[in-house]
Amino acid sequence: MTMDMSRYLGLFISEASEHLEALSRDLVQLEREGSSSAVDSMFRHAHSVKGMASSMGFEPIAILAHRVEDLVDAVRQDRSRLDRDLVDLLLSSADALLAQVRAVADNKEPAEATALLQQLSARVTTITGHAPATTRVARVTVLKPAATTDAAAEPPANPEPAAAAKAPEASAPAPDETTRPPGAKSAPADPRPGSSAGGLTSGAGAEAGAAAREPRPAESLAHDVAARPAPGLELSGGLQAAAGGALASKPEGEARAPLQRWAVQLRIAPTCQVPGVRAFLVHKRLTTLGTLLDLRPALEELKAGRIPDGYIQVELETSVGDTGIHSALRNVAEVEVVSVKAAVAAPAPAPPAAAAPDSARASAEAGGSRTVRVRTELLDYFLDTVGELMLATARLREVGKVLPENARPELEEGVYRLHTLVKDLHDKVMSARMTPLSLITDRLPRAARDLARRKEREVDLVITGAEIELDRAILDELADPLLHLLRNCIDHGLEAPEERLAAKKGSRGRVLVAVRRARDRVIVEIEDDGRGMDPAKLKAAAVTRGLLAPEAAARLTDREAFLLSCLPGVSTAKDVTDISGRGVGMDAVKRVVESVGGTLEIDSERGRGTRFTLRLPLTVAVVHLLLVEVGDEVFGLPIAKVVGATEADGETLSRSRETALLPHGNGLLPVHALDALLGVPAPVRRGLRPFVVMDGDSGKVALAVDRLLGQEEVVLKPLSRPLDLLPGLSGVTILGSGRPVFILDVPRLLSA
Amino acid sequence: MAKRVLVVDDAIFMRNMIKDIFASGGFEVVGEAANGLEAVEKFKEFKPDLTTMDIVMPFKSGIEATREIIKQDSSAVVIMCSALGQESLVMEAIEAGASDFIVKPFRAEDVLAVVKKVLGEV
Amino acid sequence: MRHVIFRVEKERYGLPLSAVREVVVPPARFTLVPRAPPAITGVMNLRGRVVTVVELRQLLNLPEGPTPPARVVLLDRGRRDLGLLVTDVDGIEAVERISTAPGRVTPAVRGVARLGGLGVTVLEPEGLDAAVVALFTPSK
Repeated sequence: MTMDMSRYLGLFISEASEHLEALSRDLVQLEREGSSSAVDSMFRHAHSVKGMASSMGFEPIAILAHRVEDLVDAVRQDRSRLDRDLVDLLLSSADALLAQVRAVADNKEPAEATALLQQLSARVTTITGHAPATTRVARVTVLKPAATTDAAAEPPANPEPAAAAKAPEASAPAPDETTRPPGAKSAPADPRPGSSAGGLTSGAGAEAGAAAREPRPAESLAHDVAARPAPGLELSGGLQAAAGGALASKPEGEARAPLQRWAVQLRIAPTCQVPGVRAFLVHKRLTTLGTLLDLRPALEELKAGRIPDGYIQVELETSVGDTGIHSALRNVAEVEVVSVKAAVAAPAPAPPAAAAPDSARASAEAGGSRTVRVRTELLDYFLDTVGELMLATARLREVGKVLPENARPELEEGVYRLHTLVKDLHDKVMSARMTPLSLITDRLPRAARDLARRKEREVDLVITGAEIELDRAILDELADPLLHLLRNCIDHGLEAPEERLAAKKGSRGRVLVAVRRARDRVIVEIEDDGRGMDPAKLKAAAVTRGLLAPEAAARLTDREAFLLSCLPGVSTAKDVTDISGRGVGMDAVKRVVESVGGTLEIDSERGRGTRFTLRLPLTVAVVHLLLVEVGDEVFGLPIAKVVGATEADGETLSRSRETALLPHGNGLLPVHALDALLGVPAPVRRGLRPFVVMDGDSGKVALAVDRLLGQEEVVLKPLSRPLDLLPGLSGVTILGSGRPVFILDVPRLLSA
Repeated sequence: MAKRVLVVDDAIFMRNMIKDIFASGGFEVVGEAANGLEAVEKFKEFKPDLTTMDIVMPFKSGIEATREIIKQDSSAVVIMCSALGQESLVMEAIEAGASDFIVKPFRAEDVLAVVKKVLGEV
Repeated sequence: MRHVIFRVEKERYGLPLSAVREVVVPPARFTLVPRAPPAITGVMNLRGRVVTVVELRQLLNLPEGPTPPARVVLLDRGRRDLGLLVTDVDGIEAVERISTAPGRVTPAVRGVARLGGLGVTVLEPEGLDAAVVALFTPSK
């Protein structure tokens, strides 16, 4: 029976990734604080990944994790071994392991990290004085056939052909059908002295077991129990005694055999992977039976696994008789009793058994509430379905309005009940989706360390409030923007140490990531104490690139000017390093934050530092909309971006070139006709019409619409392909009337 | 009646795998624990016929947990889940009262062979 | 294999039954999709799901005809909802022996078959999907 490992693949990927991320986290913490708990937990993480990877047959991952485990173990024994280079090496290894796990997730073979392995092995060898041990990996094929697995590292003693592992045998042995290696055949009543070792080479291994499967003699179990020897404690008897092993057993009844010497020959199955431990277990069992007079090989040799051909000779003085010896070893796997022969008897009392049990008090309460893992897609599906339920309920209510008066109360009561239930379900689904921000902030210390090291800056990163929870969908979106903001702080915000000292600051820069709840919003602030941003330079850069008219630039407040850094191509940094140059830019940060219904603000003071403030909704699903009509169509504008609404006669507005300008506050706002912007046919309007004032990327804008329909709280549905390819739409919803309505992303609409 | 098993391992991956192995062998997995502390608690709660015990776990190691379990119930059957390279730890666990051990990476038939042997079902 | 047979004007088309979720009557009005290519009729609400509807005539670059489309054939594309606006649906028929269509090969067309003495163009669901997505990705 070969297990189908592929069904563990998902769990392997998620759990191994978690372990590896935690490993990196522990490393950074260890380097910073030198806490010993971090080393222990690092060891556990590496060890777990090794175990899982080897079970899955992912040899490159298992080997790499094994090397990491070796190194961490060495550090565990002597903390002084941990230097920066070692931390770098371990971090790179954790990264490489993560990459391997991701490759597996993409159904690719994990790459061999040859160079890293060499470095790791070299470190292990210099530290421990011996070469690292080999890694054992299960022979399984998990990935789909396109990528062939060659991760077969079965122990050489096992001649199993690869084909056996590839042909999964679905039928597990039925419970009553037991595996029985030939060695165990000798019944208790039949010591069979001198029975030959013929046919035993197949051993107690599973392959042999399958061949030797046969019905168990009905009487043998009962016999075992009755004849169970050994001094010591009273047992509850029955099956439990049989299950209890020889450790705590006792002769039952009066039939105590006289003390007698026995020469026992045993053989550890050649398929046994750890003969030393096996032999030790046998030794332990035999010592509970009586006095061990002779043992060959000696105990130390046994423990070290130095057992020629697996044969062990024991001379034992006991009162349990040969049947007792057989039954004591009967339930030890991978051991075969070759012979039990009477030796010279000697009258000596049996030694007392192990100490009596104390009523043990288990120390502490473990674990807490029960949790299960749910795939994110499943959570998305729940939310989607609950959203549809809400819409269906709203629809029912609408339908009810046209029913005759007398038929309504019953329906309305039902709809009300349904509404309450669905709302409650929605709340539960939402809370199931809530995930602490630490899921993404936990990666920041590692990133900060790497960035700082590359830029030769010194950085203290302080994170507060990471336990605050947000919708998983928002968190997933936020991971990259947050990393970019951190990068921005370290790369552009913080000065070099000498520059800081010249400015009478400490040489170490400080980046603070503070998370807090404010009513229905989560506020994330990322703040550095660096050089700050220059609004004049930002304005100049935007004008130079033709993104902004000089007059418009002049009108911008400093705060608005800082947001210019979010326009593509505007940046005050003189140098473009590989650090700032890769990944998402500030424009992407802003877009992502707004796409989840949040806002981005930037505050900065020259010489003092910069603060990015993200105001995020707790959930993505429900948004407040201002509904507007354009021609025959209805669109939703996110209230979060709406500054206000006003009425004016479009014909009388002043114009700058082609663009109409709407007076607003002390200034003039550019006007965009929403019908033209969206390509919606609408009749030409004369006279007064409504305008909606909204926040755009480079200042406020006014949208000319035909009618304001009012506000509504709606359940946002993400756009599915191909609609997601259209710029300027951020989602869709269905109104109570059943009408689908698109939600507009005005800044992208204007820029596209 | 199916034998009742408690599965102790800090990795859900391993627990699931072991659980599936036991299920395929006609055992009933009555509980699982993710660390040594929980293992001792769950043992008291379920009184399983057999406990599989990982060695390296947070809060309390499998060896400590085994020692406490055997202290509570000297007839408890605890099978250590070990990896190559942990030989000395397994011997320590045997000293602490573990009945037997299985070696990762597990193969279902090996695990069931050891377990059935230990339970005297062979 | 059983196919859903439908028409664009007089021309007959078929899709494997397994690729079709259901056939519905188009709503009185579609919600217009801003900035979408002309072949996109709009979106409709189907029991709480937003379905994008594309006019098959335009997708296949067929000439305009006099008959207003009267059915929407909904493709079964998992949770991605796509509907084809067609002139009418004839029914479900077994279509065997599909041969390569003469002339230019497009991914949306799998081939042609004969049904009751008349020709049927058999469409390829994956290809249709790709053709719709291609409408949204401007060729440079």
